[in-house]
Amino acid sequence: MIGRPTAVALIAAGVVLTATAMVLPWYSTAYAGNIEVVVRAWGTEVVNKPGDWPAGELSPWYGLPVAVAVALLIAGIWVSRAALAGAAAQLGAVGITAVLVVSERGHALEQQGDFAIGFGLVFLAIGTLVALTGAIAVQRERA
Amino acid sequence: MRLLSAGLLFLAAAAAVTATFLPLSELLIRLTPDQPQTAYVTTGWSTRFGATEDEHGPLFGIPAVAAAVAVLVGVRWWKVAFAGAAALAGVTGMLFVYLLNAISFHRQGNITIDPGLEAGFGNGMWVLIAATIVAFGAVVVHPDD
Repeated sequence: MIGRPTAVALIAAGVVLTATAMVLPWYSTAYAGNIEVVVRAWGTEVVNKPGDWPAGELSPWYGLPVAVAVALLIAGIWVSRAALAGAAAQLGAVGITAVLVVSERGHALEQQGDFAIGFGLVFLAIGTLVALTGAIAVQRERA
Repeated sequence: MRLLSAGLLFLAAAAAVTATFLPLSELLIRLTPDQPQTAYVTTGWSTRFGATEDEHGPLFGIPAVAAAVAVLVGVRWWKVAFAGAAALAGVTGMLFVYLLNAISFHRQGNITIDPGLEAGFGNGMWVLIAATIVAFGAVVVHPDD
């Protein structure tokens, strides 16, 4: 069994990993002509955007639901139920991100793009699993 | 209270699964003035433009159904119901944030083609939000609390 100090340390580590994910690129696609589309938690950046691309920006704030989950995780250091809510909510949000990444990769490859996963997504995935492990361990400790 | 809680959890899970088959976002656009409107519809399992299906469309239904399963298992354990409701909230929140931007992108990118276009959330999004609220309601009245 994981003791309470270890469980809390896992939640804290999950928070730090997720916070790091918020500033790193999540995924990117490079196209011919030095065009690159970089997706981050707080928006999408198109490097060398061609003139004939659509006017608007497909640039969601993926970081917003993640930030709410992280706030719950931080509260979870003192209130164990908040940790469970935060970890589960983050898992659900990352689930949507995962199916979006699969879809975006499919579109990128279809258009001869060079798709790459960024460190942000790796940190997000590991941070979510670490926090979830800690959150579940904290529940068991209380039961 | 056990029966009420179980009933609400079942309702929430059923609503969440139903929502994946309903339109999550819709764009109705006339590509030329004399043509009928073409519908661009995203559900949990497909993205279609008219009769054409995007073969790489995102499968939002997978995490939604996974959260619904957790909500159902929660009939037995309070903590699982709580985690399931939270997971459903995470799914709904991330989907909302993504679609909100995608809808405004559709509008901005196509307004010159058809100034009368309609772009917005579909009923599936509202059903999914309702499912999340019902799931938390069930958690509140769950007897293991």
